[in-house]
Amino acid sequence: MSTCCRYGVDETSTLLNAVMTAAKPSLKSLLARHEVVLLIVIALEILLFQSLGRRFLDGTNVSNIFRHSVEIGLLALAMTPVILTGGIDLSVGSMMGLCAVCFGIFVNEAAMSPLLAALLAVGIGTLGGGLNALLIARFQLPPLIVTLGTFSLFRGLAEALTKGSKSYSGFPDSFLALGNSDIAGVPAQIWIFLLVALGIWLLVHRMTIGRSFRAIGYSPEGARYAGIPVRRNLGLAYILAGAIAGLAAVILVARLGEARANAGIGYELLAITAVVLGGTSIFGGSGSVGGTLLGYLAVAVLNNGLSRITAYQLFDQPISSVARELSGMLTGLLLLLALAVTPLAKALAARRTKT
Amino acid sequence: MKPLLQLSDIRKSFGAVRALKGVSFDLQPGEVHALLGENGAGKSTLIKVITGAHSPDDGTLTVDGESLRSLTPSHARELGIACIYQQPALFPDLSVAENIGLRLKKTSAFAKVKHAEQRALALDLLKRVGAEISPDAEVRELSMPEQQLVEIACALGSGAKIVIMDEPTASLTQKEQHLLFGVVRDLRANGVGVVYISHRLEEIFALADRVTVLRDGESVGTHPVKDLTEAAMIQLMVGREVAALYPPAEGEPGAVVLSLKNLGCSASGVRGIDLEVRAGEIVGMAGLVGAGRTELARILFGITPADSGQIVLNGKALTLTSPREAISRGIAYVPEDRRRHGVILEMPIAHNITMAVHPVLFPGTLLRFKAETAMARDFIRDLGIKAYGPDAPGGSLSGGNQQKVSVSRWLATKPKLLILDEPTQGVDVGAKSEIHKIIRNLAKEGLAVLMISSDLPEVLGMSDRIAVMREGTVTAVLPGGADAHQVMAAALGQSGKEVA
Repeated sequence: MSTCCRYGVDETSTLLNAVMTAAKPSLKSLLARHEVVLLIVIALEILLFQSLGRRFLDGTNVSNIFRHSVEIGLLALAMTPVILTGGIDLSVGSMMGLCAVCFGIFVNEAAMSPLLAALLAVGIGTLGGGLNALLIARFQLPPLIVTLGTFSLFRGLAEALTKGSKSYSGFPDSFLALGNSDIAGVPAQIWIFLLVALGIWLLVHRMTIGRSFRAIGYSPEGARYAGIPVRRNLGLAYILAGAIAGLAAVILVARLGEARANAGIGYELLAITAVVLGGTSIFGGSGSVGGTLLGYLAVAVLNNGLSRITAYQLFDQPISSVARELSGMLTGLLLLLALAVTPLAKALAARRTKT
Repeated sequence: MKPLLQLSDIRKSFGAVRALKGVSFDLQPGEVHALLGENGAGKSTLIKVITGAHSPDDGTLTVDGESLRSLTPSHARELGIACIYQQPALFPDLSVAENIGLRLKKTSAFAKVKHAEQRALALDLLKRVGAEISPDAEVRELSMPEQQLVEIACALGSGAKIVIMDEPTASLTQKEQHLLFGVVRDLRANGVGVVYISHRLEEIFALADRVTVLRDGESVGTHPVKDLTEAAMIQLMVGREVAALYPPAEGEPGAVVLSLKNLGCSASGVRGIDLEVRAGEIVGMAGLVGAGRTELARILFGITPADSGQIVLNGKALTLTSPREAISRGIAYVPEDRRRHGVILEMPIAHNITMAVHPVLFPGTLLRFKAETAMARDFIRDLGIKAYGPDAPGGSLSGGNQQKVSVSRWLATKPKLLILDEPTQGVDVGAKSEIHKIIRNLAKEGLAVLMISSDLPEVLGMSDRIAVMREGTVTAVLPGGADAHQVMAAALGQSGKEVA
């Protein structure tokens, strides 16, 4: 049973009793499952956009939903182990900027093959994650502060390398295919995303290190007393996040055909939104990769849908001008609502069993 | 003379635990009244009742002639009750004068702070307690005894008539103790009543007029100090007979498993420990809270590594710098703080039980759920853990069953040495004797057991030998048949050498 936030002992047991004594699942107890709430939200989004716009669910657009958001999905996957340990990584978006710029330099100025440059970009992401890991796991500094620092540092480095304005383009078509072609009818980068998702799922749900992420998230001291290598595993979560941010940068460059210092601005927040929306507790410990994927889907569908209704009118007003603002606002509302529904349903369920 | 404070038949329970079962106590003006009792006898709870932190379930408090059912902290302060805790509760980032001003002056949140007035007040009070502390110093920079003096200055400044001191000398040097004693005597001379809590009998003889002894949440008597000998005081504290409820030892202990030679760790105040634990033997470790027993366990488990001496396990000298290392060498530690260190309450008991054996149970790091559940079921059956199944979260279990989960985790590592730290603390009576049986059976199977406990009957009943710690070192190793007086005397350091 996954819970979206930390419950005290008593609460857990009453909740448990509530679930166990209910003869058949009531609507309320069903709503107490975060995944169900998310599925409903996603269904509502799809219904809304399908009714507003034409061909929302046609093949091309479904492809686009994923193609245009896969980087956020990758960051959300990378963020899941980090948040499970009770941490946070605000630097992954900036890391994408740095890795994108480095990739551009490697190909354009050092004349490297895109493959080698991509490997090096992932390597740079790994190193940057290593810096976070060093400060957080080794020196026990708070993740929020450390990654807030590297958030500025990495972006600043990217801007310094490009002197603020330079961008790199002219990549070979074979590389651009990574971002723009289909393999077996599915966007090429989605295959990479699925591989990463499988890997993270294995890590979190099927390997001892995933178990230790949870233990660290619930109680770092308790984990240490159980002989878990807390520092090492904590560090690995951040190193992995950096590596995946590097990969996301390469994919973004392949899609846009251009490497700029502003790649991935704000992506870290969307990724965190997706993870938390997916039911992973921001305090660490509980959460799932499946939840993250659903959370990502909810964010991705919303953004795509909003970008499409710009062409239409709502209440006889042209709304194209406000679409961008609307997107941010609705993402925020979605997060707050999804977070509120589960505890509300649980509180109602608990109250019912008491009386 | 009308007493400053009178408590009659105070009762207080926390859930099923009856902390105070009818305590009566009175304090006269110009008196130092000592409170004495073993760990867990109810002293802290009683203080909290007096300061208004806890409200009693039953009984009455009479403060200065006014009868009350209970107090709130602010009401207690208005009535002139001040408490100086072992750990001073000052704001570390503010200056001494600011701390004193904050404590003494009641003003609205937006009132202007009168710095000069505040400083003069602080200067005067500090002089009265004989402290050479600048009122402008930041509290962060002060030593622990200096902070205590600031607390006492606050108590003086508030015009407190009742001052409670909870082990005030625990962190003081001899010289500072003398200074403190002088302040206490001054308070007494000014008609203040002082409730003085200390484990050090010599201080009680040096300072107190009367002593009230608490045992198992009851007051077992109030006596003028001059009527008592040290031996009589210990007798009062220990009192009861050790019930023959403990499983008997069988057979002779085997080879030496653990041998400590002059072991010390300056960071945690442990020094010069020599101790042996044999296979099949339970060595009980007695001592007062703060004597360094948990600190020793933490050294042996690699949490705070030793910086002097030797740890020899099965003939091999070890350097232990992490729990992981200690585990791989065959050392297991069931920690004192079950809820923080022993069990992760949010995780299923199966996950808790297998947590220390990941490398063994899951070779190649892939989780094997069947093997995990099977292991958990085995322990649930063998140790009689009451839970609805291996998936039950640790937090849904009672204290005793949580402790069994914690023990299971360590038995799963197949240790050579098992260290138990307060194994039955906060555990109900039934589960307690079950845990005792488990520990004895483990010893029978050849495990070397080091059992830290503040529960004296438990130490006496379970141990094949008893090591007593005091002030960071082992002061006595007594045979299993030792009586309570000997153990208490060694724990209190009743040699008389350090009498102030």
